[in-house]
Formats: sequence, C-alpha cells, structure tokens
Amino acid sequence: MTGAELVVKLLTEHGVHSVFGYPGGAIMPIYDALYQSPVKHYLCRHEQGGGFSAIGYARASGQTGVCLATSGPGATNLITALADALLDSVPVVAITGQVSQAVAGTDAFQEVDVLGLSLTCTKHSFYVRAVADLADTLREAFALAQSGRPGPVLVDIPKDVQLAQVDYQPLHLTAASAAPELSHFAEQIASARTLLQQAAKPMAYIGGGVHMADALPELNAFLTATGMPSVTTLKAMGSVEKTNPLYLGMLGMHGTQAANIAVQQTDLLVCLGARFDDRVTGNLKKFAPEAKVIHIDIDPAEINKLRFADVAMLGDLKALLPAMTAAGNYADWQTHCATLKAQHGWRYDHPGERIYAPLLLKQLSERMPDNSVVSCDVGQHQMWVAQHMRFNSPRNHLSSGGLGTMGFGLPAAIGAKISRPQDTSVLVTGDGSFMMNVQELATIKRFRLPVKIVVIDNQRLGMVKQWQQLFFAGRYSETDLSDNPDFVSLAAAFAIPGHSISHKDEVESALDAMFSWPGPYLLHVRIDETDNVWPLVPPGAANHDMMTDLPQWEE
Amino acid sequence: MSHPHTLSTQHTLTIQTRHEAVAVERLLQVTRYRGFTLAGLELKPLADVSGLLITLSVVSDKPISLLVNQLNKLYDVLNLELHQAEAGALRA
Ligand SMILES: Cc1ncc(C[n+]2csc(CCOP(=O)(O)OP(=O)(O)O)c2C)c(N)n1
Ligand SMILES: [Mg+2]
Repeated sequence: MTGAELVVKLLTEHGVHSVFGYPGGAIMPIYDALYQSPVKHYLCRHEQGGGFSAIGYARASGQTGVCLATSGPGATNLITALADALLDSVPVVAITGQVSQAVAGTDAFQEVDVLGLSLTCTKHSFYVRAVADLADTLREAFALAQSGRPGPVLVDIPKDVQLAQVDYQPLHLTAASAAPELSHFAEQIASARTLLQQAAKPMAYIGGGVHMADALPELNAFLTATGMPSVTTLKAMGSVEKTNPLYLGMLGMHGTQAANIAVQQTDLLVCLGARFDDRVTGNLKKFAPEAKVIHIDIDPAEINKLRFADVAMLGDLKALLPAMTAAGNYADWQTHCATLKAQHGWRYDHPGERIYAPLLLKQLSERMPDNSVVSCDVGQHQMWVAQHMRFNSPRNHLSSGGLGTMGFGLPAAIGAKISRPQDTSVLVTGDGSFMMNVQELATIKRFRLPVKIVVIDNQRLGMVKQWQQLFFAGRYSETDLSDNPDFVSLAAAFAIPGHSISHKDEVESALDAMFSWPGPYLLHVRIDETDNVWPLVPPGAANHDMMTDLPQWEE
Repeated sequence: MSHPHTLSTQHTLTIQTRHEAVAVERLLQVTRYRGFTLAGLELKPLADVSGLLITLSVVSDKPISLLVNQLNKLYDVLNLELHQAEAGALRA
C-alpha cells in the first residue's frame, strides 16, 4: 500500500471514525486514500474550523480528535486551534501534508516550515522522512496526545512519503508502562493526611486534570468523606455533583463571591489537577494567603511553578484521592461556607422588559435536554454561561479557557455533535465571536447537523467594551458592532431556520421552539449593550476585592 | 541600564537528545520562553551518532527547577543532568 493508505489504516487502527479537514496539493494522496474509506471525513470550511471541531470532538467524548490540512496556508490556518488545544490540554492529532523532500527547503510552492511553526503550540511534532517510519510515528503521536497531560501532536508528512510503497505491520502490543505504585507516595500521602487532619478550613480547588484522569467518582467520594468545601476552574465546571451543598462554584476573575471569599480564607488549599492560572488567582501574592498547599498533578512542570506546594504528588488522581482521604472536623467552616453560598446567590430580577442574558441562560440550562453539550465562545456570554448554566460533567461544557479563542464555539459544537450524536449540541455565542468562524454554518448545512445556536447579541465586543468602560475612561475604541448582519437571514442562507427575540416574555416559547425543531436552528437574542459581567476581580487585585454591580443573593 | 540589579545564578546542564536539529531548536525555545538567558552552548554527536550531547549554560534569577522541569518534558530530551550552580556571582 502507499504511505497515504497506511495513514488511513492507522486511523482505523486507533478507532478513529471521524476526521475534520480541508484538502490541498500536498495532502492529495491522503485525501485519495480517504475516498470511499471507512473513515468519515467532515469537510470544514476553514482549517481553523477543522481544528476546533477536532477539539470539540475530543472534549465532548474523551477521545482523541483528528484534523487534516495541506501544506503552507492549510497548516498555518491550523495553528490557532493547536495553541488552544495545548493550553487546555486536549488530545488532538493534526496531520499536515508537506511538499516533497526533493524540493524541501527551496521555498517551494506552499512550503512553510510547519515543524518550526509547531514548536510553541504543540506537545510534540514530527516530520516523517521515510515511509518506513510512518506507522511508528503515527502510533507514537496518538500515544503522546493521550498520555500524561494530554495535548496536540502534529505529524507533517511530505508528499513523496505519502506516495511511497510500504507494508502494513499490525501493532505488536507492548505492555503499558505501569503507573508508579501507591507505596511510592507513602510519605507524601501521610503528610497530606496530617495536613487534612490539622486543617480547620480546607478547600478543594479542582481543575480540568481531575476529569481527564477519569477520577470524578473518586473526587466526589473524597469530597463527601472529608466534608471539604470545593471550588472549580472554568474547565472543571460540572465535576462536583450538583447535590453537594458545599460546592461554591467557579473561582477567579468572574467567579462567585462565595468561592473567592472562601478561598481567600482557607488554611489548606487542596489543588487537584489545576495550575494556579492568573485568571484564577488574581494577584498571586495575595491569593489564599493563609493557606498551606497540597498539589496533585500529572505534569511535573506545574508543581511549584507559581505557588509553593507543602505537599506535592505527581501521579494518578484516581489512585491518590482515595489514599489521602482523611476526615477532619470542619463543622464551623462548613457552616461558614454554606452561609457565604446562601448570602451570595445570583439575582435574576433584572428590571425592565429587555432580555437579561444571565436569566435567559438559566432558562436555557433548565429547558435543554439532559446531557446536552454546551459549547460557547469568548467574552461576556462565555462568563455568563459559566455562571448561570449547570452541567453534570465537564464534557458537557466546552469553553476555550487557556487561550480564550473567539471563534471556538461553532466548530466545537459541530465536533461535539459528531462525537455524541445522541446528545443535543447547544452553542452559546456572541455577535463578535460567531463571525470568526461563521463559514462553518456550511458544514452544518452539508451534514444536516442539528446544532442549536443561540447568538447573544449586544452589538458589541462586550467584554472589551466592559474593560474600556471600567479601566479606559469609557473610550470605546473599535468595540461597536451595531452594524451587525441580520443573523436570522444569514442562517437562512445556509438553510438553517431561526428566530429573533428581544423581550423577556418571548424567551420560553422561543427556547421550546428551538428544541422541538428537529434540525439546526439559530435563536438570535438581542440584549442591552450596557449589561456587564459581575462580579469582577480587577487586574492586580486580590480575589476578595471583587467589583459588583447588582448584589447577588438567593434566588 | 535602569534594570534593577537582581542576583542571578549560572547553571550548567548536560543534555542528551535525539539526533535532530529540531531538538536543539526546542531546547533554545523553551530556555528563552521560560525566561532564562543563554550563557553557553556546546554540542556534538554521540559516538554512535544516535543522539546529541549538549552542554547548556543559562543565567537567571528564577529557580533552575522551573527550566529543568520544562526541558525534561521534551520528547527529544533523553537524559538531563544539572551541575552544581556557580555561586551567585553574576548580576543580570
Ligand atoms: C481571536 C480573538 N481575538 C480577540 C480576542 C479579544 N476578545 C476577548 S472577548 C472579546 C469580545 C467578544 O465579543 P462577543 O463575541 O460579541 O462576546 P461578548 O463579550 O459581547 O459577549 C474580544 C475581542 C479574543 N479573545 N480572541
Ligand atoms: Mg457581543
């Protein structure tokens, strides 16, 4: 067979049934091998869309996402998606075609140094010189993408390697390298248990690493057994069972007041698969100032990177969490946290007839089918989704966290729908973000993907406008989008029906109409451009110094 | 220069990598990005040409473990040793 056919064979070997991509000269042999093959190719309308669909596919299902692009502009268009996958630790394999080695390094047509470009935005990248190395390289790429801290891996394959002849050798299963024995951590586990017993005010700070370690049952058992209150990062929303009364919500810049206040007061921060990101900590020096830290992660480079850990363990949370479970006596602290949570609930009684996005999103959350996957874009609407929607798994909330990439949402919602066809895929996007990958409506049209699109239209680049209002003296430089297209007509051009609403009393019937329609649907929601995201920890401030607009209290 | 005079330390690492030019690019990129200044670089192929033996010296006021942990994650790095730091004589 040819190298190109071997690529498709290797995809099947790894259980890959769906790939996202865009063809071009240097990857034509692989596209030829895909033709009439068992691997289903989804033609996206921009390689960035293909990359984000692979991410959505991976994040919604836990499987590795695969995307393809040609050399030169195809590969450069993938770069943003690779960076997004790197910062959010998403397992993705990107396969790029490259010019033939006979002309490599001559500035050939559509030649760009893709390996060089990939250095800063992948976990690792390969350039395949010989067809004999192709199978091992692809197998290594899949293994790397999924192992340890997951991430994107790029394989750049010159056209001559794709065309060369090679035999397929089935994979010889090698014994997987065993994780270190628990006894290896005996000392740290003992220290962690001592800290837990000595603490009066412990707090679990939960990141995306927990669900990626497949350790959600162990996490919830740990929280119940210890009675420890908890907070999550943006990526970990949905990790803690909804019934847990001591879960305080998301912490950080737009976190809940209860979460931020309690974290500032804790005397023992138990950091699980999280990395002290600046959007979480605010002013790092003032973050949880009284706390000792237990830090468990799979990535050695995260330990002591930003915050010293009194006890650190580099290992599998699934095994470590049960081992370090130790009950303490936290009754006063539990009462305190429950009171904070009750005092700082959200308020939805926004005056007037206009639609208040937080309330709309709460209604959406209540009305969407169970186990829907919600993808969102970046901006105010993204923070409102995190604050006001409820998820029962982190796989049901796809948000570009580390890179914060506008344009993420639509293609991610497509990838989610393809990986979980039985579940509803909902996109909550902004009028700015939606336009960044709007061409993917064509992908929805072609494959008749029933994605439910909710455009939160404030006719602004709202999040930037909010910062201009607060920190740049109301000088609204380039954030006005009041000449937006007619989004419902835009959707109609792709055979997607839609409806536009601007009053509170239209919301419920509009949501019902969207969910009862069998195909894709666009709901355009006009909101007031003056609505802002609260609370907000201003830059440089400690997390307890939150700015608030409306007081938050119980529903 | 108006830079505050922070006490910096020079560290020397010996690193064995796969025999690929890109391995060196990766080392240098991580060194720069993580905020370490290059103070010396020597490299030669291993006797059996299976890899490169690299001596890398860096200066920084940051703990060297930050760099070592990141370099150790590189797929191309097969072995890495940190040598005794030369006492904080350098000023950045
Ligand atoms: C690709 C990209 N460019 C620029 C930004 C900076 N940015 C962050 S939020 C935002 C505004 C987003 O506007 P919209 O999608 O309408 O969301 P809103 O904040 O109005 O809800 C911008 C420009 C970004 N995050 N990503
Ligand atoms: Mg907007």
